[in-house]
Amino acid sequence: MTETVFGNLLGSREAGMLERVVLVVTFALVVLFSLFIDGFATAGNLLVILSNSTSLVMLSCGMAVVIISRGLDLSLIAQMVSGATIFSILVTNGSPAAFALLVAVAAMVLVGFVNAFLIAYVGIPAMLATLASAMCITGLFRFAILRGEFILLLPKSNPAVLFLSGNILPGVTVPVALMIATLLATWALLSYSTAGRIIYAMGDNYQAARLTGLPVRTTTVVVYVFAAVTALLAGLVTSAASGAVDFRTVSNGTLLFDVILVVVLGGIPLRGGRGGLKNILVGAALIAILRNGMTLMNFTTQMQDALRGLVLILAIVIDNYLNPRDTETDTVGDL
Amino acid sequence: MTAQPIVSLENVTKTYGTTAALADATFDLMPGEIHALVGENGAGKSTLCKLIAGVIAPSEGILKIDGQTVLFSSPKDASGHGISMVYQETSLVPQLTVAQNIFLGREQMFNSVRRVRSAARQVLQRLNFKVDPAQLAGTLSAAKRQMVEIARAVHNQARVIILDEPTAALTPEETDHLFDLMKSLQRNGVAIIFISHALEEALSYADRISVLRNGRMMTTGPAADFNRGTLIHHMIGDELIEQEKVPAARRPPRSALPVLRVENIRMGSIVNNMSFSIFPGEITGLAGLIGSGRSEVAKVIMGHTKRNFGGGRIWLDGREVRYGLPAQAVADGIAYISEDRKLDGFFDTLSVAENIGLGWLAKFGGRRFLAPRAKMRTLAREWVDRLSIRSIGVERPVLYLSGGNQQKVVIAKSLIQKPKLVIFDEPTRGVDVGAIAEIRQIIRSFADSGAGVILISSYLPEILETCDRILVAKSGTIAAEFSRAEASAASILNAAIH
Repeated sequence: MTETVFGNLLGSREAGMLERVVLVVTFALVVLFSLFIDGFATAGNLLVILSNSTSLVMLSCGMAVVIISRGLDLSLIAQMVSGATIFSILVTNGSPAAFALLVAVAAMVLVGFVNAFLIAYVGIPAMLATLASAMCITGLFRFAILRGEFILLLPKSNPAVLFLSGNILPGVTVPVALMIATLLATWALLSYSTAGRIIYAMGDNYQAARLTGLPVRTTTVVVYVFAAVTALLAGLVTSAASGAVDFRTVSNGTLLFDVILVVVLGGIPLRGGRGGLKNILVGAALIAILRNGMTLMNFTTQMQDALRGLVLILAIVIDNYLNPRDTETDTVGDL
Repeated sequence: MTAQPIVSLENVTKTYGTTAALADATFDLMPGEIHALVGENGAGKSTLCKLIAGVIAPSEGILKIDGQTVLFSSPKDASGHGISMVYQETSLVPQLTVAQNIFLGREQMFNSVRRVRSAARQVLQRLNFKVDPAQLAGTLSAAKRQMVEIARAVHNQARVIILDEPTAALTPEETDHLFDLMKSLQRNGVAIIFISHALEEALSYADRISVLRNGRMMTTGPAADFNRGTLIHHMIGDELIEQEKVPAARRPPRSALPVLRVENIRMGSIVNNMSFSIFPGEITGLAGLIGSGRSEVAKVIMGHTKRNFGGGRIWLDGREVRYGLPAQAVADGIAYISEDRKLDGFFDTLSVAENIGLGWLAKFGGRRFLAPRAKMRTLAREWVDRLSIRSIGVERPVLYLSGGNQQKVVIAKSLIQKPKLVIFDEPTRGVDVGAIAEIRQIIRSFADSGAGVILISSYLPEILETCDRILVAKSGTIAAEFSRAEASAASILNAAIH
């Protein structure tokens, strides 16, 4: 008893340490890359880093909220591409962008609800439920809409696509504006809303939250629906920027990997209950800079994957060391 | 019995933190004797057995086997000396067959399934056990699992077998069979220690009986020197018998209508036709041994446990209810304060104010989007003052508080919901002495405000001092009911044990 109490004390004090370590590493990388990589420390490249990381940040917001509630959503990327597919198909076939957006949001709310239903009402572990729903969604979309293809090409001339890749204010692109909006929404949800209080309570101690009479099931629905909507926004931004919806993002797993990396490196423990906006920003900064540096250094994607894997293992080892597991988390199961 | 003892403990103490589970205990086990250990919950019986079986190490004192001082670092060391323990919760691997379980830990590099099975069959037949060696251990009944464990001990050539409440899960015939077996093992020179709450078993089957109370060895002697009355006397002690008549508080006349009535609640094999009523303004104690179904019935009422619900009816204020979720029970004004606050009581990394505020939010939060944080904080501070919760700051995590103050936070989290019925499950467990009195006072004044209170406690003095009416649970039913005036430690214990 005293040992776990002491361990938790260390954990909570050092939880802030992981993000501080990551922040220091990020600064070190910025200095190193500026010194040794040509063209890293230019205004143009900084804008590239920012615009390339908008969808990553949006997805990380969704994942962070899920993980703080002691859940996990492995279907985020599947939701992202399928949401973008719905939007693109409707717009290409002549529907107004607002209508297409509405349909896509409705579809994502449904997906988020099904995930939450499987987890909170049926009682399937989050990892399995979302893995299964990811498979279902991608399979269904590739079969029914893409007819077996991997890629849905978008006409560049499409007004909705033009809007999503354009500027909303001078110097502020639509993706950046959407990213800021998502960050603000996450902040409001976690820090000011009723659901936010319950999300932290569930993440800290799910059984206690249930016995206290908190609406844990409804809150699970809020959490997974929120994640699904952030995934949709990320999908819209990505597809507009690249001119295609690419289902290979689901199957190669790199993006999901990066999202979990952002959350874990930001210092949000996988067992939940802690973390906030600053953790997302810290984690995202490191991954965005790492990605950009690796690309500028002409690392092959295989090399990049190897490095990513290494960084994730390292982060989880540090996370486990700073937030020791105890019998309590073992019985609940944090993954 | 002039031979030297096969196992002896000399002045052994085992402490956990600051509490002594076993204090300065001396105990001898002679070869070929059947020795019963009796005592209340938490008297130190299991601790004593685990020390002998090498599961835990003594903090002080000496353990001798055959007169030689030994230091066990694991159950494997003890088993090397021929000591085997059969636990209440069996330690069989459910996915393996009976035969594999019997040979567990003694496998050779290559095992012929047939040879292992036939060897296992021989062991089982010698003990007259009707168990199929090829069956999976997980599919066996409790009695058969126990048989397999005993067979394993016999196969391992155990000289000492320790049985932790072996008869708790057995039918009368199975119990008879078990004691016949113990007698025949005894004839082969095996010494047996068994823990029991059934005093008659101890009196009729044991050669000697040892009584433990609060971690101390009270007495040891031949079974013939004891009777049920003297055993109970040793179990609860003189002080309690002296002080049992606490002046009864002046109670207002009981209102005719119960706030809660349950009838024939059944759940799995633990709660078996439990019926009782709880009246407002009264503290109703629920005494009984661990495993008698006290906490389980509370969790059924709350809607926390749905699995294995076997039927029964619940009325709250005369209206029949059946909750599928604790949130529904909370909305109707019932609160349950857990026996293990760290496991499902409080949110350890959240602040004192946040913990208490979440209780309010659960009942009165409604569907608004923004959390009324200022209001939650003000209310939380109010309750911190009301229950005099002492902390270095209401914005500090609950984890930094003492056990007593943590418990008060959990109580505040429930009382802020203005419930009409609160179930306190072991409210003073792991609480510092000063806070115990305060918590009992909180419970009393809450009942005085006209609410119903169920107090579940394993600690008899707490039940006797705090409750207006006492229900005693035994094997999942209410075995007895006492008014405050009639109740005594001896009568409660007599009703709780078999």
